[in-house]
Amino acid sequence: MKEIAFYLVDAFSDRAFGGNPAAVCPLEEWLPDDVLLKMAQQHNQSETAFFVRTDTGFELRWFTTQYEINLCGHATLASAHVIFEYLDYPHTEIVFSTRFVGDLKVTRSGDWLTLNFPAWGCEAVENPPALLFSTLGINGAQEVRAGRDYMVVLENQQQVEVLTPDIDAMMPLGKMVCVTAPGDEHDFVSRFFCPGEGVAEDPVTGSAHSMLIPYWSEKLGKTALQARQVSPRGGELRCELKGDRVLIGGQAALYLKGTVYLRSH
Amino acid sequence: MNIERNIMLTVDKRMQEIAFYLVDAFSDAAFSGNPAAICPLPAWLPDETLLRMTQQHNQSETAFFVRDKAGIELRWFTTQGEVNLCGHATLATAWVLFNEMGYPDPHIHFETASGRLTVTRDGDWLTLDFPACPTEPQTPPPEMLRALGIQTYVEARKGRAWLLVLENRQQVEAVKPDINAMTPGEHKVSITARGEGEYDFVSRFFSPGVALWEDPVTGSAHTMLIPYWSEKLAKTSLFARQVSARGGELRCELKGDRVRMSGRASLYMKGHLFLR
Repeated sequence: MKEIAFYLVDAFSDRAFGGNPAAVCPLEEWLPDDVLLKMAQQHNQSETAFFVRTDTGFELRWFTTQYEINLCGHATLASAHVIFEYLDYPHTEIVFSTRFVGDLKVTRSGDWLTLNFPAWGCEAVENPPALLFSTLGINGAQEVRAGRDYMVVLENQQQVEVLTPDIDAMMPLGKMVCVTAPGDEHDFVSRFFCPGEGVAEDPVTGSAHSMLIPYWSEKLGKTALQARQVSPRGGELRCELKGDRVLIGGQAALYLKGTVYLRSH
Repeated sequence: MNIERNIMLTVDKRMQEIAFYLVDAFSDAAFSGNPAAICPLPAWLPDETLLRMTQQHNQSETAFFVRDKAGIELRWFTTQGEVNLCGHATLATAWVLFNEMGYPDPHIHFETASGRLTVTRDGDWLTLDFPACPTEPQTPPPEMLRALGIQTYVEARKGRAWLLVLENRQQVEAVKPDINAMTPGEHKVSITARGEGEYDFVSRFFSPGVALWEDPVTGSAHTMLIPYWSEKLAKTSLFARQVSARGGELRCELKGDRVRMSGRASLYMKGHLFLR
């Protein structure tokens, strides 16, 4: 029987039942991939992050209930929260080495943790697919752009909040869908829909902000931006554009701390 | 562990600390059985909080119980809302009381929305005593068979759910339903066949329309399966396996109009959650 520490952390929020939950398991050494996947399935969270401490930093990997994934912002933030708050880590910067996207840095400033991610561009879409509007339940948009995901720009926060999209029907679009607008009390707000994924609406999405920050930075003529993802759980992000990088800051809150008892199988 | 932080957590009056267990019911092997989250509460919290906790855990069921002089009150929540009965989470709760909370007697009585439920301990095996559910022959809707990808069956019956009897275990294991084709909220179905070796019968359970599609191990389905197989095999004690991907084992007994279902359980995780 192997004992493994377990944390369930709400990333990008400091409120109860807010933010985006991620399971985090610090490991002494790597376990077989099939064990990591079975653990992630047992936890049944959108992502379980596993990390192993090395001489120079931490190796970090992310699993959904289906497979290992390339990159996950909120589970990286959650892992950093665990290291800073609960593992006697004295420094203000963590370097995670990852398998698919190189080194990821997270810095701490008080309660706020900041991810340093590459900025992503997106291009205007002249003739957006009718299915995009019909599944969102809207007649049109201020602007539609596409990069890794679709970005649909609406007029105001309320229009983003009231959407009740048919997310399953978005499958033929072949992309995730981010909807954004200027915020009432924030520089911009957004929501993020993931057709075909276990969690149809992602509560708070770091990666979408890689695309949102450059866009709104140019639109609003400023590099520091306050953002809110207005999903039902909701989350707050302090954003900054820095050349070809984006800084995405968030708080995190521990929901659950426990011990996993791993029997040999 | 940062000690200062730890002290802060415990003295912060706005923060309530609640014990949390994740228990695999109906199995003693790793990553098998049916997982349930269990939270012992000092007193009942608002229903909305219980639902949000359940959604946060994102397990098929979270069981909450309050133990006081009058007895033990037990409630079950799915991510959709409160449910009136859940066998595997009851077994898991009894496991926590017996093994983690030093419950002294071999019998636990739970007061629930479905009346009093008793769990009895015999070594590693915990026994649920539930009402038997009779089934009647009935013709299944063709769209259900199509969704299940089943062309032929030995027998079809209906009680609290559909009961489809197939030829053998291989046929049960081979069933690959097109879950999207099944009508939400309808057609809960237990697929069963005579077992081989130590098993008297095997089964799988599909429940479209709720958050989980194939249930790993299903107590409620066995309230139908036990009377059926007991008559078919002319014996009252039966050993069953649910042949889902996770899998689980049940010792079964028919006793008049009651069924006894026994299973083992094991602890996957134990911890504390912090309610702000």
